[in-house]
Amino acid sequence: MNQSVPMCAASFEETGEPASKLGMWLFLASEVMFFAGLIAAFVVLRFTHPAWPGPEGHLNKWLGTANTFILLCSSWTVVMALADFQAGRQRSGRLYLLWTIVLGSAFLVIKGFEYSAKLPHGILPSTNIFWSCYYTLTGFHGLHVLGGIIANLWLFFRAMQGRMGPSNAYKVELAGLYWHFVDIVWLFLFPMLYLL
Amino acid sequence: MTNAQTASKTYLWIWAWLAGLMLLSVVASELPLAPRLITVIILGFSTVKALLVALYYMHLKQDRKTLSFVAVFPLLVVLAAVLLVASSRLVKL
Repeated sequence: MNQSVPMCAASFEETGEPASKLGMWLFLASEVMFFAGLIAAFVVLRFTHPAWPGPEGHLNKWLGTANTFILLCSSWTVVMALADFQAGRQRSGRLYLLWTIVLGSAFLVIKGFEYSAKLPHGILPSTNIFWSCYYTLTGFHGLHVLGGIIANLWLFFRAMQGRMGPSNAYKVELAGLYWHFVDIVWLFLFPMLYLL
Repeated sequence: MTNAQTASKTYLWIWAWLAGLMLLSVVASELPLAPRLITVIILGFSTVKALLVALYYMHLKQDRKTLSFVAVFPLLVVLAAVLLVASSRLVKL
């Protein structure tokens, strides 16, 4: 018998949560381990290298602050998009989703601007341990931001085709959970790299 | 006021708190205090911001405790690993 079961919307009786949501949280748990490993390595290296970041110069605190503000705004827009799609407000939901994509892209543009101010001056991952950590942490984080932008773009185009509504707003919730996680990671990377 | 309006208002308030705490972190980094104290203050602010995002934007406050457990468990594992390494006589930091 071939029964079509909407697995994403199904709930496990044991947890009471939709399988898709529980799956996303388990994925995020594995991502926590990934970034925690990188951050732990950074902390150990930071304590063992008193000359930090070294004579090559410091990062621009204000660009980092601007990027943090941008990601905080994007977290607000994505949660508003979810609220609007759940309430059936398609147009407003699409707009908030678009803002999330724009803000995420702005974050990457600023990050690219920062990289372009360092790389041509010979400040490379191989320059010293600080810059190795900087490029590794921000590079992996940037890739995660890019992944979030692609997911939100896919949702935006579906919404433009009129294929998003209260019944499948959970997809925005899943993308939103990932986006908020990426934001939380940056909330720790920003002070560690730019402020301390 | 409907539930949706209340939720939207809450989201905006959380955003304001997040932005405010971010600015306080930047200001704190300029204060003439002991580096260790500044580190504690700034990472404390980061922890509060992460909690606000997780509780309100990721809806852990209203979701079942199962998801909170899934979210907290890896952090406990990491904490245990860090404490193990930091307390080990075999590892010199």
